[in-house]
Formats: sequence, C-alpha cells, structure tokens
Amino acid sequence: MRATLFQYAFGTNQKLNMTTVYSTRAKILLLAPMFTWLTAFLLLPYFFIFIQSFLQSDAFGNVVYSFTAESYIKIFSNKLYYFTLFKTLLMSCFVAVLCVIISLPLCYFIAFKVQSESRKTMLYTLIVLPFWVSYIVRAYSWKIILGQFGILNGFLTYTGLISEPLSFILYSDFATIICLVYIFTPFVAIPIYTAFEQIPKSLVEASKDLGAGSWTTFSRVIIPLALPGIISGATFALVLTMGDFLAPVLLGGPNTLFISNIVQNLFGTSNDKPLGSALGIVILALIVIVLEVSTYFEKKYSSFKS
Amino acid sequence: MRRTFLFSLWVIPAFLLFSCSEKKDAAKDTAALPDSLKYKGATLNILCWEGYADEKFTKAFAEKYGVTVKGTYFGSSDELVSKLQGGGGASYDIISPSCDVASYIVDAGLVQPIDPTKISEFNNLSELLRNMSDVKRGNDIYGMPFTWGPDYLVYNADEIKEEPKSWNIFFDPKYKGKISVWDDISNIYLMGQILGMDKADKSALYNMNDDQLKQAKEKLMKLKPQIRKFWATAGELDNLFKNKEVVAAVGWPLTPATLNKQGMNIKSTIPQEGATGWIDRLMITKNSPNKELAMLYLDYISKPENMAKVAEVTTYSIANPRAKEFMSAELQELTYINNMTYYHERLNFWQYVKERKKYNELWNEVKSGVQ
Repeated sequence: MRATLFQYAFGTNQKLNMTTVYSTRAKILLLAPMFTWLTAFLLLPYFFIFIQSFLQSDAFGNVVYSFTAESYIKIFSNKLYYFTLFKTLLMSCFVAVLCVIISLPLCYFIAFKVQSESRKTMLYTLIVLPFWVSYIVRAYSWKIILGQFGILNGFLTYTGLISEPLSFILYSDFATIICLVYIFTPFVAIPIYTAFEQIPKSLVEASKDLGAGSWTTFSRVIIPLALPGIISGATFALVLTMGDFLAPVLLGGPNTLFISNIVQNLFGTSNDKPLGSALGIVILALIVIVLEVSTYFEKKYSSFKS
Repeated sequence: MRRTFLFSLWVIPAFLLFSCSEKKDAAKDTAALPDSLKYKGATLNILCWEGYADEKFTKAFAEKYGVTVKGTYFGSSDELVSKLQGGGGASYDIISPSCDVASYIVDAGLVQPIDPTKISEFNNLSELLRNMSDVKRGNDIYGMPFTWGPDYLVYNADEIKEEPKSWNIFFDPKYKGKISVWDDISNIYLMGQILGMDKADKSALYNMNDDQLKQAKEKLMKLKPQIRKFWATAGELDNLFKNKEVVAAVGWPLTPATLNKQGMNIKSTIPQEGATGWIDRLMITKNSPNKELAMLYLDYISKPENMAKVAEVTTYSIANPRAKEFMSAELQELTYINNMTYYHERLNFWQYVKERKKYNELWNEVKSGVQ
C-alpha cells in the first residue's frame, strides 16, 4: 500500500501520471490558490522582514526608516547572539543524531522483521499517533515525568537506584533535548521507514546469499540505500529544533536559551523589531544552507533515481 | 506587561471589529441637557488590562447614562503603546497603563490631563499613589490611580521556618536550585534594590548607568546557580511551589492566595531592602471623543462601592481605601486594604526604563551565560 502511495506521489505510475491532460491555463488555475497563499503568507512576510532588518528602532521600539546594517553587525559582534546561534545549531545536530539513532532500529524492525502487513500498518500508525496530541500537551507531560517528585524520580527512588531525587533531569538542557527528541522522532522515522520500504527485498536476500551476515547486509546494503531517507529525516529534526522556542521555555533551566527565545524576546518585551528581523534572516540563511547541503547529499546517495 | 499570561490576545480582534465602527460625539449640541440624557447612545471605549472593564462594575454606569461601555484588552505594555501610537488614540477614551510606561505615554502626548475636582473621591485615594510625580507635569495630573500590587518574596513556610529578613536568602547555599524568579527584566531592578542603589533615589533602578548595570549583571550571575527555573506565568510559579521544586521566589499576591486554598503553607514578605511594585492608572486619551463622559466614568469607578467590585473581579489591590466597607474580610486581607500605607512606603513602583533594549539584552546575556 505504501509503495503505491509513493508511486502516486512521485508520478512513477504511468496511469496516474496525468500532467499531459491539463492545458496551461488549467495548470495556472490549479496552482493559483497555492501561489496566492505562498505569496501572501510566505514571500511577502519574508520580504517585509528582510527590509525591516535594515532599519532601526527608537527607544520605545518604533521602527525608524533609515537604512543601516547595525543589526547585522550586532549579531556578529555580540557574543550573546552568535554564541546562542552556534549553541542552538549544535543542540539541533545533537537532537537530529539522537532521533536517527532511535529511528534506525525501529524502522528496520518494522520494515524487515515484521511479516504481516496489518501489523506493519499498526506499528506505523503507532509512530504517527503522537501527532494526534498537541505539541504543548506533549511537552508539558515531560514535566510530570521528569519532575523532582515525578514518575521517573519516583521509580528510581522506589527501586533504590538513587536515594535522593535527581533534580538535574528537569529544567535543564537535558530535559529540553529529551523532549525535542521525543517530539521530532516521528518526523525522522517516517522518511527512514519509507526509504527502507523501497529497498527491494531481493537485494537483501542477494546479499545474504553471497555470504554477508546481518550486520554487513545492514551496514553495506541497507544503510547506503536508505541514506537519502536518513538525511532528509535528520534535516527535518535539525531544522525544526532550530526554530523551537517552546521546549526551552517549558523544560529548560536557567541556562537554556535557544536562538528562537531571543527572537521572541526581541519582538516582545525588548521591542527591537529590526534586530529581531535581522536575527530571523540570519537563521533563515543558515537553514537554507543546511537544506541545500542536505539536498545535495540526498541526491548524491540516491540510488533509485530513474 | 505583567499580565501577558492572561489569554487576552485572542479577545482583541473580536473587540476591534466592533469598536472601530462607532465613533459618535454624543456631547455635540447637547450641553443644555441633563447628564442622564446628554450622553445617550454614546460609546465609552476603554483599552485596558483584562478584567478592568468588567460588566460587573461597568453595567450600572452604562445604564445610568444610557451609554455603552466597551472594553478592549491588551496583553502587554508594549502592545498598549503601539496601539495608541498606531492611531488608536481616537478610538479609545480611557486607557489603563501600568507605571512602567505611564510617564512615556504622558511625555509622548498620548493623553490629556484629568480634572481631579470632577472626581469626588480623588482626595480619598491613597495619598502616596495619587501624588506620584511620574504622571504630573507642573500642575497637571494625567492619571487616576486604579490598582496596584507588590512583587514580593514568596516562600514556603514549611521549608523556611523563619520569615526571611533579606532578599539575600536567595543567595543562601542551603537553597541552591530551589529559587525561582520571573523571566523578565524586573530582576535587574531587584538586584539594584538588593545592592542598595535606590536608597537615595527610587528611580535609580530604572536608570542604571553602565557601571551599575554591570554590578547588577554580576549579582544576577551569582543568583543563577541558585535558580531552579525562571517562571514565565504565575500559573507556572504555582506549580513550581506545588511540586516542591522551589522554596522561595519573587511572586505576586495571587500565588500564596491560590496555594493556601489548596492546603499549602505559603507566605509572603517584603524584606528589609524593600520590594518593587506596580500601579495601574486610568488615563484619558488625547483625542478622546467623549472626554466629559470619560471624566464621569473616572468619578464613578473611584467610588468605594465600585472600587470594591473591581477588587472582587480582579483580586488586585485598589487605590481607594474607603472601599473596605464593601469588601469581605477575606478580600480585604487579599488586597492589603488595611495596610496600604505600610506597603506603599516600602515598595519601589516600576518606572519607565529608557534603556529598555539594553536591560533586555543584559537579561538575555544572563540567561545565555555569556560574559
């Protein structure tokens, strides 16, 4: 079922490939709603933010219309901004790697070890299931799990592994990362699973016939073939973490500060919209670079390009 | 600003839809009519913190003059200012700025002086509040005190047996990782207060020079290892106390009130260094289309029986001590109406910070830990 969906989405099934049926005018009509939407709510705001990033603000945050690159100079000269940006990027990479490490065995199990189709669908649904609950509720529930007198500490004290509740696990970078990994793992697991599903079982069998063990088959046949999926999944987690500000607010400690928290503050209480915009543009540029690099590698390692 | 946690943001668009349409000058050509008919059909627009235009106390006024009282809520001081400057001045008659932006609003010419002689209760309002200089320019008074509150030391009396005498308890190694403060630049004011910067001049906390800011930052960096979590909403602070994550914090009156109802033993105090606090005033906008009606409203709302209703709805402390006789014993206690002078003398009310951006940047630097 998944395979047909994939073919449908990428138009490899000739019967469903109907592009030739439509005239140019019909194409424009079909694209118009999305184009209008993207222009009004994506391109124009970006353009506005870009312009604003070169303006200044007075003492009370009124935007002053005079051209200056001051905001950009500030971002790259004040440690607060470039260090936090760097730290957020580092944290994002960490979250992405953890998500991949968790997703790989999980997806491998579902794709190759589970035989019955219905059980596969069920397990796949279980991965997607957390999406049914809102982000804030899921993030908040970690407070209950990780708290001083939370479920985890309660369990550890009960089993006698620790005598005093551990306080570092909530309100810290650690808690923030746990939450982000939990929330973004499905985003990583879905593309990896799809990549695994695409691998013809015959290739796996061939590898085993030629005398390769399970590990060799996994590392030398399956992983290289699934690499584009792994890269795109990791990119998801990385980009989403870069933009996250809620998890640090809810679960972070006194030292947790993500770049998005600063952006939020600049548009909020500090009321320095030009600096906030400039920071936004820098983050955007960084993410575009990440996406470009990731697309390059996805293409490079894609073995199924027709 | 302090009530950003109130979910007022989504109320605004709905109100805006209505409030933009009607701008009638009811007073036109009706000077000869009695008050009860003069304003009939007019709409008094109030731009205020959530709860400050509640029907429970505006209804009687609306009925008396045959007018409509419409409340539009703002979620932060910045939002209020940007609304007024964005041309909203003529759409609203009354605003309720907090003292962190009050003087700015006066200086920016967004409001007009009020006439205290038309407010029958004016001289009964807390003397300290009505005489504050930040909204006075010469003989003109630009605001009528409405509500106020302290940011004081809240502590769990089961854990800290003796009432803390000083804010220095926050730095006690015994309570490492057990302290919480608001995620806001007001911590800079507090550090200044602990360092005694406001002894000679209360406004010093809001006008720190670079050297003083550096000292405040150093103090905050020392405080940081003691902090469990910077709280973002009052509800979050309640939970921190409830889950025994913290034993002492900077908090607002509602926190002990809420928690003690749930069987906890939370107390609050103003240590010897003093504490910071806030006042909200009612002001009349520069281009108010209903100036006379707005003055009548100020007169009406400052009356003891109406002020008591304000206290009941908002649970904030109010400016007229005479409202006491209309309040339950519990509410009197909650709003400190009996000890008003005691509190006012020991509070350093927030003022407009000219270097807002600098204060905010410093606060972010403290959080990120960069030197």
